[in-house]
Amino acid sequence: MKIKLEKLEVQSRGDKELIDITPEVERVVRDSGVKEGVVNILTMHTSSGIIVTEGLPCLEMDVLNHLEVLAPEEGDYYHSRYLDIDGRLGFNAGAHLKSILGGISAFFPIEDGQIVKGSRQRIYFAEYDGPLCRTYCVQVMGE
Amino acid sequence: MIDFHTHPLLVQEILEREPDLHRIARDVFYIRNRPQPLETFLLELDVSGLDRAVLLPIDASTTKGCQICSNELIAELCQMSDRFIGFASVDPHKESAVDDLEHAVKDLGLRGLKLSPPTQEFYPNDAELAYPIYEKAQDFGLPVVFHAGMSWEPRVKAKYGQPIHLEDVAYDFPDLNIVIAHFAWPWVLEAVMLALKYPNVYIDTSCLYFDNPVAFMRFVIGGQVPVSVIEKSLRYKVVFGSNYPRVEIKNMVKAVKSLGLSDGCLKLIFEENARRLLGEISG
Repeated sequence: MKIKLEKLEVQSRGDKELIDITPEVERVVRDSGVKEGVVNILTMHTSSGIIVTEGLPCLEMDVLNHLEVLAPEEGDYYHSRYLDIDGRLGFNAGAHLKSILGGISAFFPIEDGQIVKGSRQRIYFAEYDGPLCRTYCVQVMGE
Repeated sequence: MIDFHTHPLLVQEILEREPDLHRIARDVFYIRNRPQPLETFLLELDVSGLDRAVLLPIDASTTKGCQICSNELIAELCQMSDRFIGFASVDPHKESAVDDLEHAVKDLGLRGLKLSPPTQEFYPNDAELAYPIYEKAQDFGLPVVFHAGMSWEPRVKAKYGQPIHLEDVAYDFPDLNIVIAHFAWPWVLEAVMLALKYPNVYIDTSCLYFDNPVAFMRFVIGGQVPVSVIEKSLRYKVVFGSNYPRVEIKNMVKAVKSLGLSDGCLKLIFEENARRLLGEISG
């Protein structure tokens, strides 16, 4: 069985945004040579996520707006305190909670060298505390 | 609009040139964010609606054995983007301090001076140690940003950062523009007193010590000092500063804008007061 892992960087440009990474994931699958197997996508950060939804700007806005309602930026969070490990205050609990709610990974089967997904499904890197240069993993496993 | 208080310590392009700066940032300055490409810094300005940022180093050669970003690296960053305004720092304990400042201004093109008395372990009214530096800064027309109040750096004492020590400097150097950083928290009223009294004393907004930027800013301005004091008496004496990357610029912008200050006052804080300090406008 082949196992191939790529760590990819993405530069978010806004405070909160969904970045379509579908072409990059498809490229990693293609480059892996795996014909039958699975692909996993994982963000490396706890204030970002991986989301799968229909590729429409209106939906992208709805996803972010709804997550803001569920986990508002301003809130009475215990995380709003000095964090020795960072040398700064942690006041982005809202971003961490959005990451939990929206999820941090996605999984797709691979068949005949192609990702098996719905025709309208797109894979997004979700930025909840940008702009930042971020890293996500794409791991392909199979034959 | 200008951010008058940033520390470019975690810029990847600079860390590749000066790897030890990462250790200095983590262990001396005690900022432990992940390094980011220069583009992130510029995007952070964009997202925050700001045009430019003042880059501040600290020369702690004597007390910490390092420069928390050198004047040369600040000058290099300014070459990489015209959105950066580079300030110098000199070590008051070094005999070469005055010459170092002259070099930074004449040869490197830096436009202001940053001193951190707690990090550099000196009282700013120590005439023997610091006054020759102030004389040179005054001759050049440089604004001087003083760290004041609490510092997150370990092995650093706040006593050197009490703003009352700056009164002698403001008094003895009436043509030297002084910026008291971080609202001198917790000595906010001392800083406000100096800014009210002395025409050459300013304050920057880069303070955050608990809660979140909005809550803390409202605690300081609105709690410790009435908002009306800023609106009416100090509108020409406060400059916006974020303390990036210890705080994201976007979050400090939001905090200052949440105070209920008038648009005219915000324009002064975010732009005109800084430009006046930098000698870009007069009046």
